[in-house]
Amino acid sequence: MSSAPPAATATPLPQPSSRATRFRRRQGWVVGVALLFGALVFWRYSQIPAFGPFEIRGIVAGTLTLALLAMAQSVIVISGGIDLSVGAMMVLANCIAARLMLDQDLGPVILIALLVIAVAMVLSGLIGAAAVVSGVPDIVVTLAASFVLSGLALIVLDSPGGGTHPRFQELLVGGFDEPLPATLLLVAVLGLVWLPFKRSRLGIATYAVGSDRAAAFLSGVRVGRTRVIAYVMAGFFSGLAGVVTTAFTGSGEPRASIGATATLTSVAAVVLGGVALLGGSGTLLGPVLAAFCLALIPALMLGLGWDPNYAEVARGIIIIVVVMIGGLVQIPRRSR
Amino acid sequence: MSAATADPAITQWRQALVDRPAIVLGGVLVVLYVVTGLVAEGMFSANGIRSTLLLACPLAILAASQTLCMLTGGIDLSTVMTANFAAYVAANQSGQGPLVALGLAMLVGLAVGLVNGIGVGVFKVNPLIMTLGMASVLLGVVTVGLVGDGFLSGSTRLLPVVTDVASGTLFGPLPRNLLVWALVAAALIFGLSRTGLGRTIYAVGDNPVACRLAGVRIWQVLLAVYVMSALLAALAGLLFSGISGSVGPDQTNAYLLPSVAAAVIGGTSILGGVGGYTGTILGALILTVLNRLLLTLDTTEAFRQILYGLIVLALAWVYVRVTGQRGT
Repeated sequence: MSSAPPAATATPLPQPSSRATRFRRRQGWVVGVALLFGALVFWRYSQIPAFGPFEIRGIVAGTLTLALLAMAQSVIVISGGIDLSVGAMMVLANCIAARLMLDQDLGPVILIALLVIAVAMVLSGLIGAAAVVSGVPDIVVTLAASFVLSGLALIVLDSPGGGTHPRFQELLVGGFDEPLPATLLLVAVLGLVWLPFKRSRLGIATYAVGSDRAAAFLSGVRVGRTRVIAYVMAGFFSGLAGVVTTAFTGSGEPRASIGATATLTSVAAVVLGGVALLGGSGTLLGPVLAAFCLALIPALMLGLGWDPNYAEVARGIIIIVVVMIGGLVQIPRRSR
Repeated sequence: MSAATADPAITQWRQALVDRPAIVLGGVLVVLYVVTGLVAEGMFSANGIRSTLLLACPLAILAASQTLCMLTGGIDLSTVMTANFAAYVAANQSGQGPLVALGLAMLVGLAVGLVNGIGVGVFKVNPLIMTLGMASVLLGVVTVGLVGDGFLSGSTRLLPVVTDVASGTLFGPLPRNLLVWALVAAALIFGLSRTGLGRTIYAVGDNPVACRLAGVRIWQVLLAVYVMSALLAALAGLLFSGISGSVGPDQTNAYLLPSVAAAVIGGTSILGGVGGYTGTILGALILTVLNRLLLTLDTTEAFRQILYGLIVLALAWVYVRVTGQRGT
């Protein structure tokens, strides 16, 4: 072995990739989902003769909850975990909000909304702390937590009920044909909450922990604290999702199956949105767009005159096929 | 902690627990059973034991699916939908005789398992996503089949053989479905520890890269695992329908989380490569007794759910603590 002379050919230095390549690599998937979303909206547009503010408001406000839950799930997945309790957290926040907001003035209602979000952040932080301290895999801890949260929701509200201020609905998700408030809320959450977090030390630490826990630890990142903070962020998004649901439906609904379905859809949106389940990569815009795509499917089927029940089938097949294509696209990239 | 690790006797103890988790779990089960017996009526009678075994059986078979998948580092979230679908098909087609009806139910399991296995094994789709998508597809298929004159419409009648096996009594405190359970358990425990496929399942979960380099055809192993998982799910669905005496499109959905919890409490790591079916059996029994205990407490459904979640979490926590089997 030692007799072999050092290789004469100079190894080419690694060149920094061009801006275009980097953009394609980082944002390519999101652009793809955005194009898909655009196509679906155009399709829907061509189905309805009078596609106006009413339709847009319906799509945006109706999907807001799912989009927020997709964000909650994304933060956890980026930090290297998975949270099967986001849906239950949303249901709990919805029940607390609906119970407290009944017959209140607008001022107290807004305060209650903030309080509910704070409660969700604290509870989610506790779940994260339990996962970090115990060393039990997240999937098990959050599974158990989803039972606890659904139980709490039933204690808060034992049957569908509660209410909110009518002005609160207009403010948060827009009235009958006003798409602006819901859109603004979505953009505000992405731009004023997520982007600053992503750019901050905490955000970078979250990506680092999700990418490689051991390496992050050795670089001085406090892994446990970062994971708990990711859960607190998820609590913010799912708490807000609960408040939005309250505003949109004007009531609280404690059924646990709603939470379970919402959790599963949030995982689907995360995967479709290009956030790798291995953690450490992806943004929140992709999952949000993916949530909108998933929500448009039943409406499109109805427009085609198909049984909207096929939407479940289509949704499942789309999830599987997209992930399959994603896998095929990523295999050559990795082997390079 | 440090004193404990220094003491060789305790270290030995701990090692024994890591090697034989069944001892701890058995202890937990006995304590829980006695506590429940003190609160609830008739737990120590033949009937009490019978009902515990009767209810634990389908859960344990559903948890067997999860155990197999978790050993390879995967999970199967489509089991309950497979169970619902298979049970519904069997009841719907019962007019054609038990052989055809049961064959069709198992065919449902086989088809679901093949698709799952091909997705996970050949196309390398993340198992969580693959089975989630599959659950979605099955839900849609069942819903569409039930509407109007779909392929599942028409009357449903449980097969006598299903009702017989699922809810009959063998003798004394032993329900008849124990026979099915014993067969499944024997096959899994023997198969996982003594057969080539069984050992490869552990190996694939422990280190897929090393397996590939050693010449294991991983896709075949995964295909076999997901087919077995779906067949077991179909079987569990039939047993559930026999116990409840009816079928429904979402009958077993509430058992998905307990089935995962039973495998986890039983010491099967969700990360793959560690665990076995013995622990899962005990896990399923513990959860069944726990459910009974919570039912006897005079409290609301909401409070029961909270306790259930907290106790599952606590059991998993203690288990990880005692055996030192931490996630990462």
